[in-house]
Amino acid sequence: MQEKSFRSWKIHLFVLILVCFTEFIGIKTFNIGIGAIALFPMLYALIIGAIISLPSLKILKMKEMNVAANILGISFMLFVAKLAMLMGPSLPQIFEAGLSLGLQEVGHFAGTIVLGLPVALLLGMKREAIGATFSIDREPNLAIIAEKYGSDSPEGRGALGVYVCGTLFGALYLSVLASFMAQTGWFHPISLAMGAGVGSGSMMAAMVGALSVIFPDSATDIAVFAGAANLITTILGTYICVFFSLPVTNYLYNKFEPILGRRSKKDQAKNIGA
Amino acid sequence: MKDKILTFAIIGIIALMGNWIGYDVSAIDALPGMMIIVAVTVLGFLFAKIVPIKLPVVIWISMLALVITTPIFPGNETVIKLTEKVNFMALATPILAYAGLSFGKDLQEFKKLGWRIVVISLVVYTGTFVLSSLVAEIGFRLTGKFH
Repeated sequence: MQEKSFRSWKIHLFVLILVCFTEFIGIKTFNIGIGAIALFPMLYALIIGAIISLPSLKILKMKEMNVAANILGISFMLFVAKLAMLMGPSLPQIFEAGLSLGLQEVGHFAGTIVLGLPVALLLGMKREAIGATFSIDREPNLAIIAEKYGSDSPEGRGALGVYVCGTLFGALYLSVLASFMAQTGWFHPISLAMGAGVGSGSMMAAMVGALSVIFPDSATDIAVFAGAANLITTILGTYICVFFSLPVTNYLYNKFEPILGRRSKKDQAKNIGA
Repeated sequence: MKDKILTFAIIGIIALMGNWIGYDVSAIDALPGMMIIVAVTVLGFLFAKIVPIKLPVVIWISMLALVITTPIFPGNETVIKLTEKVNFMALATPILAYAGLSFGKDLQEFKKLGWRIVVISLVVYTGTFVLSSLVAEIGFRLTGKFH
């Protein structure tokens, strides 16, 4: 395996400036009629960083952006260490929530399929739908699909599409969604925290951030339970995807595609061939 | 590995600055805590490399961090007290800054995607988050925990 590069002073310098600037601005909440929207430093850092990286601005080279992505991958480990250190003292509380923690894994893996697959079929997707909706399509899930179908299969393209969208907009979208969900009052902050614990590093960080801004008194609990949910997903995720999510998605696809799918069989053949 | 250690140190320093500006904890006060966090992370990578049992790095790091903060570890209270000075939000800001700065690299790939896949991604993320929160909530209501 080729060693990934983490070296770019320019990237670190930008991050330092972004962090100082955004932490200085601090947390702001805006009321937009249907609810307050929470804005906080990591969200500004994400958005301003994204603008800086726009290829048309020519501030960063492709190589530097790749370094930023490599650093992103390992920087999450520091966050994991910090979350687990919050979890240590709360272990009894985590065990007490064992049932919910276990169950929400089911919600996590079923949720992607139950909502995603019908919509994908109604929109006229074919086998791409399987790759797109069997999981949230982060790196480990991509590997599973690539191994089974190949990266250039319809399933592989579906998975890669969701992966790319997630990388680009996942964190931002989910933090907005988390703040709306938090304000419905239907959920306990800890339930939402567990929901936030699934997903990739930056998505989880952004959701935990949004929830802690809205429930500042439960901030530590939110971090603890999001961390616990994330750890369980990490441990079980691959097995669940291989032995449950993917077969179930396949089964449901075969069952519902003829009912919900939009195009005729002939088009379907063309679609796969394309 | 040396590159990784250096990178963690840099991120640590950046987060200390953010922690200082955003959460009013002076970098000197929070430094020992940050050093513990960096050390645990580096040790996690080391364990993943030398221990023959193949486990993801994340799990090694989590286990180490959990162990040193539970009462079975002598000095766990010191660890907790020192690392408490590092706000987890301050640690997340640099992560998302790196995420932001890598945004442009996938834009080209994104332009090739159809609108359908964008819609599906949002539905997939919504389903995952909402359903797992919902199931956790139902679990809590059934057991009467936290309510």
